[in-house]
Amino acid sequence: MASVDSGIKDKRVTSEHAHDVPHVARGARIHFRRFTAFQRWVHFFIMVSFSALVLTGMPLKYSDKAWAERWMGFIGGVENAGMIHRFSALIMVTCVICMLGYFLRILIVTKGRFWGPGTMVPNRQDYWDLKAMVAWFVGKTGRPELRLDRYAYYEKGEFWAASAGVTIMCVTGAILWYPEVAARYMPGIVINFAILNHSGGALLAMGFVVVFWHFFHAHLRPEAFPMDKAMYDGGLPLEEYAHERPLEYERRVREGTLDEVLVAPLSPTRMKIQNVVWWIITGAALILWAVFTIFVVWVTYNWLISF
Amino acid sequence: MSRRGFALTIVVAVCALMAVSVAPAGATTFTIPTGASDRCLECHAQPDLGTIEVDGETKSLTISEDAWHGSVHSRLDCTACHPGFEAREHTAEESAGWREQARLTACSDCHASEFQMYDKSFHGDLVIGEGSKDAPACADCHGSHGIISPSSAEFRPTVLTMCSNCHGEKSLTYLDTYHGKSFHLGDTSTAVCTDCHGSHQILPQSNPDSTVSSQNVVETCGKCHEHANARFASFLVHVDRSTPSSSFWVWVMEMNHAVLIGFLFTLGGLHCFMYFYRGLKEGMYRRG
Repeated sequence: MASVDSGIKDKRVTSEHAHDVPHVARGARIHFRRFTAFQRWVHFFIMVSFSALVLTGMPLKYSDKAWAERWMGFIGGVENAGMIHRFSALIMVTCVICMLGYFLRILIVTKGRFWGPGTMVPNRQDYWDLKAMVAWFVGKTGRPELRLDRYAYYEKGEFWAASAGVTIMCVTGAILWYPEVAARYMPGIVINFAILNHSGGALLAMGFVVVFWHFFHAHLRPEAFPMDKAMYDGGLPLEEYAHERPLEYERRVREGTLDEVLVAPLSPTRMKIQNVVWWIITGAALILWAVFTIFVVWVTYNWLISF
Repeated sequence: MSRRGFALTIVVAVCALMAVSVAPAGATTFTIPTGASDRCLECHAQPDLGTIEVDGETKSLTISEDAWHGSVHSRLDCTACHPGFEAREHTAEESAGWREQARLTACSDCHASEFQMYDKSFHGDLVIGEGSKDAPACADCHGSHGIISPSSAEFRPTVLTMCSNCHGEKSLTYLDTYHGKSFHLGDTSTAVCTDCHGSHQILPQSNPDSTVSSQNVVETCGKCHEHANARFASFLVHVDRSTPSSSFWVWVMEMNHAVLIGFLFTLGGLHCFMYFYRGLKEGMYRRG
């Protein structure tokens, strides 16, 4: 368990409000809660439905390949796969609706902002961070100390890519689900476009967002390997977080809002149980990632040699 | 004649007239079964009977007894389709024109209405009208000795293969649609060639009587897609994504994807590979 005794200069913040919060009375509110339970559940359902959508959709996209036939047989045929695909799509649409409700709540109830520090809107700091990373990649400088806020540039990029992607996939998916209804309002070639975009968008989502981006940054990034636990139990040692996301930490200290996001670490027993679950999820995620990566590399290779 | 007797006569006469009008002139009569087939099989079931050359095609003289017994015609005599053949080594007069007879004209003896439809179709016009050897006669789609019912579960999966013998390019574009993909992956309840184009009376799209003509295509889609309208039916089924000559806008969208996927995969791949490489080199993956 991490200690708060080093590197953190604001013990005042936690101790000042000690009388309000039972956890602090036990002296244990030393974990930074990065994601709320709502956010983690939405993430969980998106993760599950995304995997199911990919596993049932890709064999149709690559129906001319032998593995697609075998895999389709394994999951019970096209009609079965279609049912799973549509059911998973409903789960994902529900997640999208939940997120839209969440954004609406930020706007109306908490009078929050969609832009500015700590939000998903890219700013100048993201450009500097990216520039510093590229300089490190090409060997010009050493490992840069990034001045990350709540969301790093790679997380913001992924958020917008995924938002655009899920919009395209939902719209085109709905057209393909009810083509007769779509044809009442749109010309028939829109169904052709929907097929193309659904299929191309799926490969983009799988390759760019998941394989080359999300899985990498959540699991294989040196700082996160083998898995960033923040999305799992929602908390990580404050010290670690202050080091990783200095801008958010400093802002919260400055604004006196750090206490809102401090939680107690899990009890040793719960930690043990959660560690088991954690390894199962991580193992499954890494296996899935390996499969996706091999697949995407293979697809890209085939695409390149087709020229 | 009693009134009942008169009515009966009328009914019999009408039935006879109908039978005559349905059966084409010169219909061959045959008997079922006389056991002659067994005598034919005495020779033709032998595996080493040899081959003959017909229209530049080498054909085996052996027929598969199993396929024959499994066929819907197994109760017919061989001479129903091969009339005039005697149970001995066949003479040149006997076998003259046997191929066209067995593959086409003999079928019309029983299947007159199908034959009439076929006669009016694009395929029938090529075969009967122009004497084409390449266009399909009855046997090219239905087979010969092992004919199974077209409504049977074994027949349906073979439709695509038989059409693609000549319409290879069309079958490739079909296989690029949802219908084609799920059909290929074993869901034969989905639409295949004959569901949209018909079977015996296939006509080109330009012919108003065609199932896929602009006059009829909505109704054809409507067989499965209940609320299909003209816009729904204008969906491009046989479109080749890889060339602008098929559909310019579909091609543009396809190219758009190729560029986007190529660009983003390169960018994302480089970013995470370099991150991984630098991290590895600087020992950042070492724990504890």
